Amino acid sequence: MPVYERGYRGWEDSGTRAAPAWWAIARRGILEPLKRRGFLFLLVVAWVPAIVKGGILYFTYKMGEMTKLLGGDWTDITAAGFRSFLEWQTPWVLIILAIIGSGLITKDREENGLALYFARPLGLRDYILGKGLITLFYYFAVTLFPVLALCIFGYLSTQGATGLQMLVATPLRALVYCTLAGTSFSLVLLALSSMGTRTVFVALWWVLLFATEGLAEIMAMFRPELRILDFAGQHTNMGALILGGRSMTGVSPWVSLAVVLGLIAAGLAVLRARVKPVEVVS
Amino acid sequence: MASPTSEVNSTDRAIEVRGLDFGYTAKPVLKDVSFRLEPGAVGLLGPNGSGKTTLLRALMGHLPLPAGKVSVLGRDMAVAARAARRGLGWMPERGGILPGMSGVAMVAYLGELGGMPVTDALQRAHEALNFVGLADERYRMADTYSQGMRQRLKLAQCLVHDPDWLFLDEPTAGLDPRGRLAMLDLVHDLSHAHGFGVILSTHLLADVKAVCDEILVLRDGRVLDHARVDAGAERDTAVFVLEGFGDREAFCAALAARGLEPVPEDRALLVTADADHGPAAVLAAAAASEFALRRLQRRTETLEDLFFKLVDASGDEASGALGALTRGEGGER
Repeated sequence: MPVYERGYRGWEDSGTRAAPAWWAIARRGILEPLKRRGFLFLLVVAWVPAIVKGGILYFTYKMGEMTKLLGGDWTDITAAGFRSFLEWQTPWVLIILAIIGSGLITKDREENGLALYFARPLGLRDYILGKGLITLFYYFAVTLFPVLALCIFGYLSTQGATGLQMLVATPLRALVYCTLAGTSFSLVLLALSSMGTRTVFVALWWVLLFATEGLAEIMAMFRPELRILDFAGQHTNMGALILGGRSMTGVSPWVSLAVVLGLIAAGLAVLRARVKPVEVVS
Repeated sequence: MASPTSEVNSTDRAIEVRGLDFGYTAKPVLKDVSFRLEPGAVGLLGPNGSGKTTLLRALMGHLPLPAGKVSVLGRDMAVAARAARRGLGWMPERGGILPGMSGVAMVAYLGELGGMPVTDALQRAHEALNFVGLADERYRMADTYSQGMRQRLKLAQCLVHDPDWLFLDEPTAGLDPRGRLAMLDLVHDLSHAHGFGVILSTHLLADVKAVCDEILVLRDGRVLDHARVDAGAERDTAVFVLEGFGDREAFCAALAARGLEPVPEDRALLVTADADHGPAAVLAAAAASEFALRRLQRRTETLEDLFFKLVDASGDEASGALGALTRGEGGER
């Protein structure tokens, strides 16, 4: 429309197929943070452990046994080895998701934006799926994607690695683990985000959840099974079932899996209760 | 297969509500609300807390409805609210901004959520912002907009997907006089020049008079009346103020004999009568009762008078009063 024309014109549909609402929400939520340089820098830094591990794998191949002095985990290309890598990434999960997810629903509630969403032809499922995919994508960005890159790099650069192991089995197991853990982290964070109207408080609660590791360690000195209070630890402990390796002392990986599934269910229940176009103040 | 209740009558652009009851808690907010609206400009009037916003939310399909039926654009909102919302634009009273986005990004994003392809949504966002007069400010962050700009932005997001009906909840709230007139001008243009159905929820009668053809008056969750607002209604029905000396009771009886019902107000009598023939009837009654009429003054009954009469009256007395006074010209649509 020319800028001098102020009259109203109806929409002439171009005939292009419109994307589903959940995809529109997810796409915008994923692309928007990538426009911020500071955030991009953080993402690059979050990949440093993966780059270091890749370098060690390369030199292990080139220089043989010498670099094995660094320790088994860094040169381990089995699924259990990647589980250790995923555990190292926990601080980045905390930071990146706090930045991305704290305000995802909070900001919509802050200015009554939920009313705008639900005035459109979309439902609660579209909204939660769209928002959940944003946090899940960034969880993958610091966990699954580096693992997949390392699998390909490991296959190309190390001796003794089979295509079946490095290109199929390990990536699949990592995908299952990361999907479960990422869904749990995403839904818990979204649930927290739906419960407040101040992003900073949501981020604070998120940090406190990760701080339960310290609390659980102290309490485990008296009763080892109290490690179940370690929020992030339950996710890595569940990994013993999927990726292999040692499980947490005092808590069975099966119990951790149940906890993770419980967190997913609880997150969904909270979102279902809290995300509404109409807020009722009693 | 679509259920019978969700079948669409593509020609039906009406909104129909039958026997709607709703309460957020045990206390009902809407009670047995029924009406039918054809596309046009409808003023939803009522005092604060009368259920206006709740009724709009019910029309948007945002509320679980325990009793009654809401049909919008031929779709039953109990089973096909999402599909119906493609044809609805909603401008909330409170908030209605997505922080962290520019004006054009917000409107385009909401257009996409409204079922538009990305490129169409972006183009329409520019057009809608141009239409509401925000073309120069479209790249500014929406959360830095002034109140007037926010209201315009909310109207633009309401329009972006080219809906059939616009539900505007207090669109002039917080606007200065110039901004208010500009907003009313836009809404009037949309409803009268571009065929949008508009429901304007407000407690400002002047806004309704400026824009609407019909009014729906709510009080305590009940529809008190649904009638046309015509300039003719004000012209044809008038209240006359009568004062004089003589036998007041005989004068009242003479007025009653001519079908006029006098209502005492201080020393005067008020009579609602036909604007053209009322004075002659009053004079005849005065002559018949030998009442020395000192004052016969026409006082036009405004929408404000009618509104206050309705909401101040109790129960059944109020119901229908507005219709009786205004249907003489336009009748029910």
